[in-house]
Amino acid sequence: MPVPGKIIHVSGFLTVGILLLVILLSVQGFISFKRRSKNKNKAETPDWSIPTLDAYADSTSFFHNWDPAAKIGSLFPYCFLIISLKSPFWCAIALIVSIFSIFFSNIAWQRGLRRLAAMSGFLLMFLLIVPFSSPARQGETVLIFPLLQSLPFHLSGFLLALTIVLKAFAIALMIEPMLGTSSLPLTLQGFSRLGLPQAIIQMILLTHRYIFVFQQEIIRMYLSMRVRGFTARTDLATMRTMGNFLGMLFISSFDRTQKVYEAMLCRGYHGIYPTFALPQTRIRDLAKSGLWILLGILLLVLDRVVPVLPL
Amino acid sequence: MHISDGVLSVTISVATYALTLAGTALSVKKVRDESLPKIAVVTSAFFVASLIHLPLGPTSVHLLMPGIVGALLGPAAFLSITVGLFLQSILFQFGGLTALGANAIMMGVPALTCGFLFKWIRGSSRMSNTLAGALVGGLGTIFAAVLLAVFLFTSGEDFLGVAKFALVAHIPVVIIEAAVSAFTISFIYRVKPEMLDWKNF
Repeated sequence: MPVPGKIIHVSGFLTVGILLLVILLSVQGFISFKRRSKNKNKAETPDWSIPTLDAYADSTSFFHNWDPAAKIGSLFPYCFLIISLKSPFWCAIALIVSIFSIFFSNIAWQRGLRRLAAMSGFLLMFLLIVPFSSPARQGETVLIFPLLQSLPFHLSGFLLALTIVLKAFAIALMIEPMLGTSSLPLTLQGFSRLGLPQAIIQMILLTHRYIFVFQQEIIRMYLSMRVRGFTARTDLATMRTMGNFLGMLFISSFDRTQKVYEAMLCRGYHGIYPTFALPQTRIRDLAKSGLWILLGILLLVLDRVVPVLPL
Repeated sequence: MHISDGVLSVTISVATYALTLAGTALSVKKVRDESLPKIAVVTSAFFVASLIHLPLGPTSVHLLMPGIVGALLGPAAFLSITVGLFLQSILFQFGGLTALGANAIMMGVPALTCGFLFKWIRGSSRMSNTLAGALVGGLGTIFAAVLLAVFLFTSGEDFLGVAKFALVAHIPVVIIEAAVSAFTISFIYRVKPEMLDWKNF
């Protein structure tokens, strides 16, 4: 059985402090949740807004002036280099690189924050569970909280969870400079030039176009349910209503498919959308890509050679 | 639950990406060329449906719908789910871009399995279709949760606790998913039963 190297008994005073902090944060979260649901009732429909990925595509920056194919071709492998990192320190450096990238891409930082908020629940699960459930390692530091003697807090588990959070944040923030700095058709054309089949590209474009149509449709359908007195609850009646609601949505989407396809044929569709802009990869774009890949490799080498705070 | 970046090991991320690309290529081959725009339109409807949250006590859950997607799209389900998850990842950050392969397999494989299971057991009465809908709705979610647990566990033994928690957290979702799927399939059976025959694609 592995023996911990250092056992720290956390004092009752500190534990109460941590508990108070957690309670305060939960209360604040609950209040803001309540406030939001109050606003939701006022708005009659829940928040079904869909962000526009390329809202900032018309600006100009280091990332905007980078050919999409070269940009994706280097930033996408860079993301895989980031997930290969092991030490929390170098993951934090990667996160700083991402924060600077958002800053230099002239994209509102709130967009980055929204991405981080979207995955906070999933990552919180790791931060709360992994330190208590990770297996004991020889010579590691263990924290024992009062009343939780049988559930030691493994510092190595906490560092692992922290590494995951840092990597997830670093990559999520890179999505904005990678995919939000060119218009969606140009970005997808970049994917196509990297070898993704045209059929898939066309599907993504069309799906993206129609989610906004169906978004309007569900808002309209939901409003008509609300004026008939519908309120969502945790009961069978709500599930029946929502089941019918989804059934109607899918039926109208199936009905629409034929009409959409025929309308596309009438406008000369023959399997691909014509594109008017054909960006070319210049030496400058390739130089940027090379630099970025080098940065990723440098982070990986430093992570392996100088593993600060290794697990 | 969508797996975010940084959780899976590089090996699992790359391997699942390769499998997803192969699955998508196979799915594209299986459907007729003229069906691709149609599948795209239906995918948009599934995408929007996944935005809807149902209340569950003090919190709320959104529907995963692998069972319904499989029952309605059959062999095209994998393609539809991969495209939908790609858009969810880049628009909302629901699921990491490097974990897209794992997320697509986690939802796509249950959808395909449930699709064929639904076709096999649905029978010809409204009751049997409703029951088959409930079964594939629930089973699809269970299958997705098990795959999530497997992906987490194979990425490191540290994640065993999270894998167990994720499995338990899916139990209420399974019940809601089964009930809503039953009502949805029952509604479609009454209004437009030919949609359950996969003939559109």
